[in-house]
Amino acid sequence: MAKVYVTGLGFITSIGNDLSTVAESLKALRHGVIAYPPFAAANIPVTVAAPVRGFDTESLDPEDWTYPERYRVKREYLRSMGPHGLYSYCAMLQAIEDAGLSPAEISNDDTGLFGASAGSPNLLTYYVRRMHEKGVMRCSPLGIVASIAGTVQFNLVAHFGIKGASTGFASACASSSHALGYAFDEIFLGRQQRMFVVGAEDGNVETILPFAGMRALSLNPDPDTASRPFDRGRDGFVGTGGATVLVLESEEEVARRGVVPYCELAGWGQASDGHNVAISHPDGLGLANALRRALGSAGVEPEAVDYINAHATSTPIGDISEGKAIRSVFGASGARPAISSTKALTGHGLSLAGAMETGFCAVALRQGFMPGSAHLTDLDPAVADLNIIRETVTERPQIVLNNSSGFGGANVALVMRAVPSVG
Amino acid sequence: MPQADQKAQNDRRPTDAGLKPMTVEDESTLRESLKRCSPATIEAAIAYRKTNEASHLPAVIIGVIERFVEPDLRAKLKEADDELRLVEDLGIDSLTMMEIVILVEDVLQMQINNEDLRNLRTVGDIKVFIDCKVRGLPPPRPTKFLPIEQIVSVMPIQAPFLFLNEATLSGGGAQGKYKITGQEFFLRGHFKDNPVMPASLMLEALGQLAVLYLLEGSSPDEGKIVDHTKIFFTSCEGVRCHRICRPGDLLSLSIKPKRTKMPLATFEGSIRVGQDKAAMAEEITLTFAYVDAKIIDDQVDSITANRSAAPQPKAASA
Repeated sequence: MAKVYVTGLGFITSIGNDLSTVAESLKALRHGVIAYPPFAAANIPVTVAAPVRGFDTESLDPEDWTYPERYRVKREYLRSMGPHGLYSYCAMLQAIEDAGLSPAEISNDDTGLFGASAGSPNLLTYYVRRMHEKGVMRCSPLGIVASIAGTVQFNLVAHFGIKGASTGFASACASSSHALGYAFDEIFLGRQQRMFVVGAEDGNVETILPFAGMRALSLNPDPDTASRPFDRGRDGFVGTGGATVLVLESEEEVARRGVVPYCELAGWGQASDGHNVAISHPDGLGLANALRRALGSAGVEPEAVDYINAHATSTPIGDISEGKAIRSVFGASGARPAISSTKALTGHGLSLAGAMETGFCAVALRQGFMPGSAHLTDLDPAVADLNIIRETVTERPQIVLNNSSGFGGANVALVMRAVPSVG
Repeated sequence: MPQADQKAQNDRRPTDAGLKPMTVEDESTLRESLKRCSPATIEAAIAYRKTNEASHLPAVIIGVIERFVEPDLRAKLKEADDELRLVEDLGIDSLTMMEIVILVEDVLQMQINNEDLRNLRTVGDIKVFIDCKVRGLPPPRPTKFLPIEQIVSVMPIQAPFLFLNEATLSGGGAQGKYKITGQEFFLRGHFKDNPVMPASLMLEALGQLAVLYLLEGSSPDEGKIVDHTKIFFTSCEGVRCHRICRPGDLLSLSIKPKRTKMPLATFEGSIRVGQDKAAMAEEITLTFAYVDAKIIDDQVDSITANRSAAPQPKAASA
C-alpha cells in the first residue's frame, strides 16, 4: 500500500514563528493568548485573543505591513495578499527549507498545493465599501484575489510556481484537515508525488469577533485561563490566526531524496453529523464515524492509538460531544489513549486549526513527547473517565490522531504513525 | 486652449481638470495618494493641479511608474529613456498597469479607457498619451508590434538579406531588433577567421527598418498606400560607426522620420548594442511611390464591404 510522509513544516503561530519555538511552547505549555488591544473598546465583551507576533498587518494597505527581517516579500506579491497570505508565504518558505526542497522539486507537474482559509473578511469589506464609494473602476485590481476564500492558494500557487493539483477547502474549522486528507489521497492514488498543505487565518477583529454573536467566544479576561478545553470553567474559545504549511511526500520521493520524515500520515476519515449548522451532535455521532473510518483507512486498531490531539475548542457543548465520540470508539476496547487539546495554548485557529495541530503532532512524533493540557485545573466530570493528560509526557507516541470538526457538522480525523527509523 | 477643441475636450475629459482652485483638502488627499512616491513627484503633481501646465506631467508620470516598479529596476527609469518597455524592461504586468492607471487618474483627475491602455508599450507612449489627453487632443497612433512572421509577410526584402527579428512602429518612428547569430552567409568572408558585421549591412538594416516604417507605420499622405515594389535607397549622410559588432550582439535599431515628400522620405537612424552606441546615420533617404489609385479604390471597397457586413453603425460623417 502506498505510503505518505510528512517531510517539512512551517509555522507562523501565536506560540511561535518557527519550528523550535513552537516545539518549546508545546513542551513547556507556553500559551500565546494576550489581552488583545483591538478588543479594548467598552462595547466589546471579549478581551483576549492569540495573535501572531512579529507581524503588523493591521493596515488595509499591505505596503504598510511589517514582518520579521528574515523574510523579503515583493510588493507585487503583497498586493494580492490578505494578512494570512503573508503568514502562509512565510510558513511556506520555512517548510521548503525544512524539507530541503530545490526549486525544481517545488515547481513540477507532480507537486501540488491545497489551501484552507476563510479569506480575508476585513479586506473584503474594505474593497466592497471602496467600490461603492469610489466607483467600480477604482477598485484595487487585485482586491478580490487578496480577499475572497481561496486567496491563500491563489497566491502561493502562483508565487511558488506550483504546477500540480491545487484547490482550496471550505469546511470552516475542519477545512485544513480536509485539505490534508485530500492531499493524502492525491499521493496515495499516485496522482502527485508531493503536496503542500496550507492552513491559514487572519486572526483579527473581523475573523474572530463574529463568533461573539453566537456566544462561542470566551469572555474570560484572563489570558492565562481563557482557553481551557475540558475544564469545568470553560466558557468559549479564544481566537487566533497565522499559518501552518506541511509538506507531504510519497515513499518514493522520501527514498529518492534520502530524507527522514517527521512521521507517516497513515490515513484519514470523515463523516458528518447531519444535525445542526453550527452545533456539534450531542453524542459526537459524526466525529465517532470519522474516527472509525480514519482508523480503518490506516489499518490501526483503537488500542494502538497513543495520543489524540482533540479538536476541543473550550466551548461547553463541543468538548463534551467530542469526549462522547472518543468514548464510543475507544471505550469498548478498554483503550485509553492520552488526550489533550493544544487549543489551550494557541486558541482556536478555525481554518488553520487542522493543519496547525497536525503539524504539532508531527513535531511530537519526531521529538518524542505528548503535549499536556494547559490551564486544566477542574476537569469536567463529563469527561473524567478519559485519559486527559495534564502535564506534557516525554514519551514517544507511535500512533497519533488529530480531530477537527467544522460548521455543518463536518468531522475529520487524521492518523499519523511514528517513523520506525527515528528513535 | 483653442475654442474649437472645446467639444473634443468635453468628450475626453468628463471630470474637467480645468483650473479649478485646489483646496487644502484636495492637496492633502493628493499627498496621501502619492505618499509612496518621491517628493519631486508630489510637488510636480501639486504644481500640475494648480497650474494645469503640461510640462509637469513627465515628472508625475515617471514618479508614479517608479513607485510601482521593483526597487532594483528603478535605476532604469533614471536613464530617462522613453523607449524603456513597460513589460520587458520594467516588469510591469497588466495588473500593475491598472494600479498605475488608477493612481494617475486620481492624481491628474482624468479617466483613461481600457482600449487606449492596450497600446501603451513604452514609457514614452505613456508620456505622449497623457500629454495628448490633458491637452484634449486625440490619443496618438498606437504603437504597433511586429513579430518576425509579420515582418516577413510585408517586406519586399527576405532572407538571407533581412536584418530584422522584430519591430515596433509608432507615429514617431520605429524600433527594431536584430541578433547577429554567427550563421550569416557574409560572416564567412567578412573577415577571414574574424566574423564582423559589415558596417554597410548595419546601414542596410536601418534602411530596412525605414522601409518597414513606410509600409506599416504612418502613411505620408493619409489614405494612400505605399507600393512595396517601389521603395529604393537613394542616399545617406553623416554615417559614423562607433563599435564593432560581432556574433552574439543584439542590435537595437531606431529610425525617426525627418522629412517625407513624395517621392523622398528621409530618416535619421541609430544602432545601439546594450548601452553602447554602435552606428548612426544623420540622414538615410529612400524613394517611394504610391500604389495606383484604382487598386486603392478596390481595396477601400473591400474594406467597406467587410465593415458593412459587421453590425456596426456607419460613421456619422458618411
